[in-house]
Formats: sequence, structure tokens, C-alpha cells
Amino acid sequence: METQDDQILKDCAPFVRFGKLDELLDLGRANSLWPLTFGLACCAIEMMAAGASRFDLARFGAEVFRPSPRQADVMIVAGTINKKMAAAVKTLYDQMPEPKWVIAMGNCAISGGPFVFPGQYAVVEGVDKLFPVDVFVPGCPPRPEGLIEGILKLEEKLTGKRRWPVPPSQPTQAS
Amino acid sequence: MASSSFATNASFMTATASNGTPAPASPAANPVAVPPVPAPVQPVAPPPEPAPALLAGSVIQLHVVDHAIKGVHLETTVSPDQVIASALEMDQAGLALDTITGVDWLAEKQMEVVYDYFHPVTGLRVAIRSRVSREDPEIPSISQVFPGANWHERETHDFFGIIFAGHPNLEPFLLPEDATYHPLRKDFAS
Amino acid sequence: MTAPELIESPSERAPRENFVLNLGPQHPATHGVLRVKLTMDGEFITRAEPVCGYIHRMQEKMAENRTFAQFLPNTSRIDYLSAMTYTHAFVGAVERAAKLQVPPRAEYIRVITSELNRISSHLVWWGAFLLDLGGFTPLLYAFDDREKILDLLEAITGARLTYSYYRIGGLYNDVDDAFLSGTRAFVSHMRPRLKMYRELVTDNIILRKRLIGIGPVSAEMCRKYGASGPVLRGSGVAYDVRKAEPYSVYNQLDFDVPHLPEGDSMARYLVRLEEIAQSLRIIEQGIDKLPSGPVMAEKVPRVLKLPAGDYCYAVEAARGRFMVRIVSDNKEIPYRVKLRTPCLSNLSLFEEASRGMLLPDALAFMGSLDLVIPDIDR
Repeated sequence: METQDDQILKDCAPFVRFGKLDELLDLGRANSLWPLTFGLACCAIEMMAAGASRFDLARFGAEVFRPSPRQADVMIVAGTINKKMAAAVKTLYDQMPEPKWVIAMGNCAISGGPFVFPGQYAVVEGVDKLFPVDVFVPGCPPRPEGLIEGILKLEEKLTGKRRWPVPPSQPTQAS
Repeated sequence: MASSSFATNASFMTATASNGTPAPASPAANPVAVPPVPAPVQPVAPPPEPAPALLAGSVIQLHVVDHAIKGVHLETTVSPDQVIASALEMDQAGLALDTITGVDWLAEKQMEVVYDYFHPVTGLRVAIRSRVSREDPEIPSISQVFPGANWHERETHDFFGIIFAGHPNLEPFLLPEDATYHPLRKDFAS
Repeated sequence: MTAPELIESPSERAPRENFVLNLGPQHPATHGVLRVKLTMDGEFITRAEPVCGYIHRMQEKMAENRTFAQFLPNTSRIDYLSAMTYTHAFVGAVERAAKLQVPPRAEYIRVITSELNRISSHLVWWGAFLLDLGGFTPLLYAFDDREKILDLLEAITGARLTYSYYRIGGLYNDVDDAFLSGTRAFVSHMRPRLKMYRELVTDNIILRKRLIGIGPVSAEMCRKYGASGPVLRGSGVAYDVRKAEPYSVYNQLDFDVPHLPEGDSMARYLVRLEEIAQSLRIIEQGIDKLPSGPVMAEKVPRVLKLPAGDYCYAVEAARGRFMVRIVSDNKEIPYRVKLRTPCLSNLSLFEEASRGMLLPDALAFMGSLDLVIPDIDR
């Protein structure tokens, strides 16, 4: 009997998978992340470029930018957070339903970016001072490929494994 | 009229003067730093219309400066109570308000307000300056003459604390609504 | 459109009350973080009060803490869509004050890259404007063309959006033949695309109904508020800083200043599309006339101090007149830098011009002003 069950499992393996429901839900969530349109400054243009024709976030299921936080999964904070704007950002984060994630795109969202100097009075030094961040995408602004890599990292965080293989890196020349 | 903070850089001074003719070069303390006496100075290119009418009939004594160096054609300094009259003169001559700039001269205990105007047809550029005291910086608002001054004056008030008398709503424009600080003052520490 | 007639039911007179609606600071018309407090009578706006400052990044304060060369990256980030032209204004002001002679090759390359930047800025405006009006397709076409420009500029500057390519005294990197041939190829690619845009979008009946007659702005109103750029040129005044206060080598190049008399959103729209065509003309002439030589001035002092005094330099950015006023006290750090940005003056007429408008019309009007909010807030 055992060998027959094992044999059935082996024959079905190409067509049938067994797993936990959570894994299925995580796969669904990862492949259909709906970002909130939250472009604040320069990084917003690279976010738009990532959603446009050449870089095409639609390949990863993430092109449906929702204007309302109630319908969004992931908040891509693209740009500088101001002290005047901080309350609005927090409100938007609170309005997003669970499960929700945050990608901090660009140096300003990570740590205040180029606008931190002694005596600065208007910039919040990083969005992780307001709420937890899942993925940091550095750059000023990061390339659209960088944002896509950030989304893939978020997918990896959700599902536990990376969707696209990382290309083997070239050995560096000894200088 | 020239403020004491203008340095006596000889090659700079020969190009600009009150009436357009070259001023004599002032002797420099360190002869090595001064370039050799230049050949006849190029005359300043005549400013565009309506400069001649403004220069002839102006109550605020505009004078010509070298646009190739300073970026403006006509310039003057007025007292605060002449600011509205100067704005009316610019309005009647057909100029538009470019911007209003504040400068905090901490060492001289004064604040300067610079009004920049441009003519949308001929491109004439005029700069009108005025100084107020630092302890009590108040200057009349020109927002009745140029509605565009409304936001520029609010911003200058935000950054320097200059009160524009007669302004309809001098609330913070770029700073948070409850801000009480003026960040571009030289003695500002956050 | 005028305010509506009151239609009251004869049986009961309900108390009428205006309500206040917040447009922003987060909204899908991705101009940036602008909040507009709208007092509405039904669908009609009785008062629109823009509230700015949500992206105030202390640019002018930072200028007082940086040397002239250290401030260059900031200039790209004031209006990031026309970053080259803003850097041009700042380095131009410093060069004017320090009396540095920029070599002709550098001047021509500055003109070519500034005009490429202007085209890419207008393409972003065009795509985002149509997105505000409800059409998603033009955004994809516009960004595709824009990527070609960004490939060219990335090859010489290393950046896609915030270039910091110009240096005080010239450029930091010369262009190669690949850039010149690629730019020529782009110009011949773009001209038929403009024709396609006209057929696909500009002649579209829906766009025409949404833009013609919407948001009329007179030349006198523009003058009172200091509006410039396509807003002023769409109201009949042919004012362009490149012609009024010629800088760089624009006085050696042949181009027209498109302007239309109607003053409505359609006029501003058509002016910008025609400016793309004129920029292509300028780029072609610039490449034809490009001289050889160095791209950096000789003897730029390592420690650069400007003589004391005020210096202004104005350029025609994609959105209008951008002027830098540097107040120097003979130190290597400026005493004060004032950035006169076009969007602040252009938006300041929104409150008066939008009275009695329908809300969708007000959004079409705001899109036709082509705003970038960090330009207002600096």
C-alpha cells in the first residue's frame, strides 16, 4: 500500500502540489502587490518610469497603483518626508488595511537623503522614524531596476524564496 | 546708497557706477591682487524699453547697471515708505513682479528686502531694494498693486519674520501652520 | 463656467451650506504634494486655496551652508524634471560673478543637453496631464520616448534624472560621437512621433472638449502674478528668457517662440507641444555648429570666492522663468541664494482663476499649468 501511495504521489507531482494555505496566500499576495500612489518628489518620477513601458512593473503584478490607501497593499514612499507632511503619511499608513508593507525608495525615505545638514529644520530623517519599513531601496533617485529589485525582495520576504534567479556575478579584476 | 559690505574689488568697481560712466579705480592695498589698469571700459549696453522713460520720470532715482555682470538693467534703493510708490511705478510701466527676496544683514542689524521686476515684452529687469531695522522689521505690503506679491511676502515673512503691513493674511506659507521660527535668519538655531 | 442657478423646491427650503474639501496632499494627479482647500458649492468651486510647504526641503538654507560647487546637486533637485536648466542658472550666476569664460564647446553642449531635458520634461508633463484627464495610453508613449533621451544623457552624465552635469566653468565630461549620432537619431525619431501625438491625442474630440475654453487666463492677469513660461505664452505674450535676456549661445541659434492668444488650457497645451518641435530645431543646429575644444574653463580657482554684491541669472526652464539671485560677501559660501521658481508664480493665479469652476475643469486647469511642487516649496 505504501509503495502505491508513494507511486501515486510521484506520478501526480508535476500536476498536484501539497502545501499550506498560508503559502498559497503569500504567493498570491506577492504576485499582486498593489502599490499606493505616493510619489512625493524626484523618486516619484522613477517610480512612474518603473510602471511605464520600458521597465514595466506589470510583469510582476504591481502596476495597479491605487490612489486610495484602503485598496493598497504596499506603500512605496518615494521622496522626502517633511515634518509638515509626516502626519499625513502616518494617517495614510494607518488607513491601509493589513497585511501591508512599506518600501522606502530613495535616500530621502531611508535617512533624509541629501537634505540632512546641521541645523536642518524641516525633514524627517527617514520614514522608518514613523513606521516600520520592509525594504530599503537606496539611490538618489534609484533606477527603476532598483525599485523592481526592491519589489522582488519584498516578494522574497513574503514567499520565502526569490522569484528570479540572481545572475552569477563576474569575478572582479584584481587592480 | 552702496552698502558698506561691498568690497573694493577694483576690476568690479570700474564696470558699474551711478550714472553709467566708469568710476576711477580705487587704489588697492595689495598691488599683487589688482589686475593691471584695464583698457577703455566697454560701455554698458543700453537697457531696453521702457528704461528711458523710467529713468527720466522716476521718483525713485533708478540708475543703470551692467546687465552682463549683475543680471539687472536698472537698480535703486528706496526707503520703506516709498515701496508702494515704486511698485505702482513699475505697474504703470507694464512690468511684472518677478520675486521678493529677503536678506538678513546681521552685522549691520538690518534686513534688506529686494523687489525684482521684469517686463514681459521687452525683458527689462529692475531691482528695487529697501532696508528695515532688524529689531522691528516692518515694511508696507505691495499685494494691492501686484496680487502675486501675496505669496512672496508670506514666504519672506516665514523665513525672516519681516512684517508686511497691510497684507491680507500673513500666515506661514512654506513652514507648518504653527511655526514660530524664522529659519533663514543668521542667528537661527534649530 | 459660471456659478449655477439655485433650483429650490417650492415645498421646502433646505439650508444651503458650502462644504470644504481637501484636494491632497496625497492625490493621484502626481504633481507632488500640494494641498488645495476647496470651498465647494456642489460641484462648483467658490474658493480654492493652495496650501504649500509639504515638500519644503530647505534649499535656500542649504545654500548658505555649502560652497558653490557643493550646492550643485541641490540645483538638480529643485525642479527635477528640468534639472539641467536649473543647474545652468546657478553655474551661470557664479560664472557671471566670477567672470569665468566658458569655452564655446561647453556652451553648445549645455544648450543641447538643456533642450533634450526640456523635451523630456514636456513629455512627462504630457503623459501625466493626459493621465489626470483620464487617458492612460499617452503616458506609456511619452515615457518610451523619454527613455531614449535618458539613455543619451545617462551615457554622458551617469544619471537619469538629477544630472549635476554642469560645473562652474564648463562641464565635467565631454560628449563622444555616440552621443551626437544618437541625438541626431533621436531628433529624426521624434518628429514623426509628434505628428502621431497630434493625430492620436491633440485632435481627439474628448481632449478638445475638456480643454478648449477651460481656465482662461489673460495676459494682464499673468503680469500681475508674475506668471511666465507656457502659461504666459498661452495668453498671447511671446516672452521667453532665451530671447529676452539671451544667455549661453541661444542668440546664435534660430528658433521661434510659440505663443497663442486664447489663454485657455488648450492654448497652453499646444504651446508646449510646439516647444518640443522648436527644441528639436535647436538641438539640430547645436550639433551642426558644435565647435571643438576644451569643455572646461582655464584657471577656475579651487577655492572660489565671488566678489561682494548681488548677481542674478535667469534661464528659460521647462515651466517658465527660473532666476537665481546670489548675494555674496566675498566668502566661499554664499551669503544668500534666492531661487525664483516659475511654479510658485504660476500657481499663485490659481485662486483667482478657479472661482466658479467645476472641479474636473479645475484639475484640467491645474494640469495645464504644469506644476512640480518641490519647485514651489524648494
